[in-house]
Amino acid sequence: MIRRGFQVAARLGHHRGLLGAPRILPRLNPASAFGSSTDSVFSRFLPEKTELKDDALPNASWCLDMLCLYQEFLEKTKSSGWIKLPSFKSNRDHIGLNLPSGLAVSSDKGDCRIFTRCIQVEGQGFEYVIFFQPSRKKSVCLFQPGPYLEGPPGFTHSGSLAAMMDETFSKTAFLAGEGVFTLSFNIRFKNLIPMSSLVVMDIEVGKIEDQKLYMSCIAHSRDQQTVYTKSSGVFLQLQLEEESPQ
Amino acid sequence: RSFSSEEVILKDYSVPNPSWNKDLRLLFDQFMEKCEDGSWKRLPSYKRIPAEKIQDFKTHLLGRNPKFVKEEQLSQTQLFTRSFDDGLGFEYVMFYSDVEKRMVCLFQGGPYLEGPPGFVHGGAIATMIDSTVGMCALMAGGVVVTANLNINYKRPIPLCSVVMINSQLDKVEGRKFFVSCNVQSVDEKTLYSEATSIFIKLNPAKSLT
Repeated sequence: MIRRGFQVAARLGHHRGLLGAPRILPRLNPASAFGSSTDSVFSRFLPEKTELKDDALPNASWCLDMLCLYQEFLEKTKSSGWIKLPSFKSNRDHIGLNLPSGLAVSSDKGDCRIFTRCIQVEGQGFEYVIFFQPSRKKSVCLFQPGPYLEGPPGFTHSGSLAAMMDETFSKTAFLAGEGVFTLSFNIRFKNLIPMSSLVVMDIEVGKIEDQKLYMSCIAHSRDQQTVYTKSSGVFLQLQLEEESPQ
Repeated sequence: RSFSSEEVILKDYSVPNPSWNKDLRLLFDQFMEKCEDGSWKRLPSYKRIPAEKIQDFKTHLLGRNPKFVKEEQLSQTQLFTRSFDDGLGFEYVMFYSDVEKRMVCLFQGGPYLEGPPGFVHGGAIATMIDSTVGMCALMAGGVVVTANLNINYKRPIPLCSVVMINSQLDKVEGRKFFVSCNVQSVDEKTLYSEATSIFIKLNPAKSLT
């Protein structure tokens, strides 16, 4: 379905009335290098020009494993159709679109941050970068949990791991099929993750039906010898609306 | 139970501060009343785990992991859910009923926990659910780790609103502790999410699976 004109209709079904319509300025990029309707999602998500700081770039806190894998995937963005996702301090900077209209959610919360960028001090919180391969609907997240994400002493809080997984599912679901809200999430923890070590998350999109996106994820060590978690997530698809120009 | 000197100077974060909104304070007062006859207990919450509990964990974990937990690393770390300034992240307090084996968490999610604009991130909700059911399992089983977490999200939670996470120990099978919970609005009329979980009591030098 070609949506170059950005149709405003929203298919909500029984979800109407549960969602807010915050005011977000659209970050539109109609004349992008991409062509089809799916690509218009990308062009909205990956702005060509921005002054926003991209947090998904190497910094001094990244361990060697993370730097090495980052380089490997960077090469793949040139050769095998992978895309590196930028990561801004707020989700509002990414998605220049509105949630379908319903209850108004007041956006006077002041400085809002996307949860996985809540701790802006280098190396202390979530250090991560996500790469996505549109043709195979796969993504990889390189994640290094910092000392502020501690659970058991010396190890990562299982909640922070769940958060990283939900976030990667969330971005993957959005780009693979406009998935917006988590419907369900199941995680099986196999091994504890030592603080500040590299976690590699491999995510695949399975079926997409009945307005739902089904995804699975395996989080493991770089050498794949240790599996940390296996998880699955289901996301709700929602057609987002372009905000009408003021 | 004796406390180490380190605990004496640690700040307890599970008490009202200026960022707590009216709903949270009201619920807090209601639960504090329940504590008066001893049937409920308020759990204190610190930024760092007290020294004696670290010893507990080390005993259980060193067997599994040949890497020793470095002392310098430990001094930099802090509990994830207490890594925020007042009102910006997780504002919460937990109350426990030993008789009912119930752990209730009153939770207010701040602007640094955003997911879809105006709503709390699914991962932040997962973190609080994990923390609540985890504490419930811990009260019953001592040193435990999360083995399985299954969450169904029914409705998104608006940022800065207050929810009640009501968790219950369902059963114990050997080393496995089964805990379920629901996340509701203050007036109990809205169900935001439901979750089930399994925690495993650690034995020294045994593997998780």
